[in-house]
Amino acid sequence: MWLPLLGLLIGIVIGSTLYIPIPGAFAKYLSVAVLASLDSVFGGLKSILEDRFDGAILLTGFFTNALLAALLAYLGDRLGVDLYLAAVFAFGVRLFQNLAIIRREVLAGWLKKRHLAAARENKNGQC
Amino acid sequence: MDNAKKWQIPVFITFLLLGFLLSVQFRTQQIFLSDLSLQKTDDLVLMLKKLHDKRGELAKELSELEKQQRTFNADVNAGETLTKGLRQDYQRQQIALGLLPVQGPGITITISTDSPIVYLDLVDIINELWASQAEAIAVNEQRVTPWTNIFWNKQNLSLTMNGREIAFPCTIKAIGNPEKLESGLRLLGGVLDHLAIYKVYPVIKRHQNLELPAASPPDIRYLTATNSE
Repeated sequence: MWLPLLGLLIGIVIGSTLYIPIPGAFAKYLSVAVLASLDSVFGGLKSILEDRFDGAILLTGFFTNALLAALLAYLGDRLGVDLYLAAVFAFGVRLFQNLAIIRREVLAGWLKKRHLAAARENKNGQC
Repeated sequence: MDNAKKWQIPVFITFLLLGFLLSVQFRTQQIFLSDLSLQKTDDLVLMLKKLHDKRGELAKELSELEKQQRTFNADVNAGETLTKGLRQDYQRQQIALGLLPVQGPGITITISTDSPIVYLDLVDIINELWASQAEAIAVNEQRVTPWTNIFWNKQNLSLTMNGREIAFPCTIKAIGNPEKLESGLRLLGGVLDHLAIYKVYPVIKRHQNLELPAASPPDIRYLTATNSE
């Protein structure tokens, strides 16, 4: 449970200590990439909770989603179509869906645990 | 446990990358937002107005400071003029008192060694020279000043000026208008006529440039100006 949080922390520390200058023109694409990777991460968390987790899918999804989002946004800019907005919309919707599912799974898990505990206590009381 | 291990490594990697991306993006966005070309027009207008106001204030301050500087300069100039004036005044006083060596056109009167001359004759000559608007007089390289005394020393039987014996031939130098000085001496019934009675014939010569020495300053112990401020 703590290992992913540790990873997040280390990532943040590395990112803020290393100075990586991003030209203003690319900041937009990077933001879409970040959104895509956030979506992938939440998707991964959801799959863990649904017991359908696959490491390969998470990693490939993470990279391809990020890269594709950035590339599409770039391509959209070249073509004069705001694909950037499409990416933001698509990933934003998916992000909220994933979050909702995660919330429901966590809540369900918690309720189940409590129910079980209550049932056990009832049983113990009867005995 | 096996299941947990299976998911922890990929999630760790993705979280690491996500953290990295997030912080980089965060910083880029911070820099990006502070860029002027991305500010809102309203903000820019406000900033422009503020800067304009500030510029006006600074310009006002600058002009005030410049005014101040000008007055200071004027003060300094006034001070300099005052100092200059005072120095000139002081020099004029010193010259008048005979405390500075001076030079200028004038005449010399030479009285030969064998002249039967008394101290009053010398005083007469000097008085006549002053009357003929001499500006400075010296007898044998001794300046005649307001505190000069000329008398006959009875002890060693010598003509004395300022306590020093006057050696003959004696030369009196006077600075002033040479013509005026000479004519004053040669006045009919004047000093030279009077001396001629005693067969004293001083030699008078005009000079374009005479140099007179300075007298030593007087010893002032009791004097103070009455209306000194």
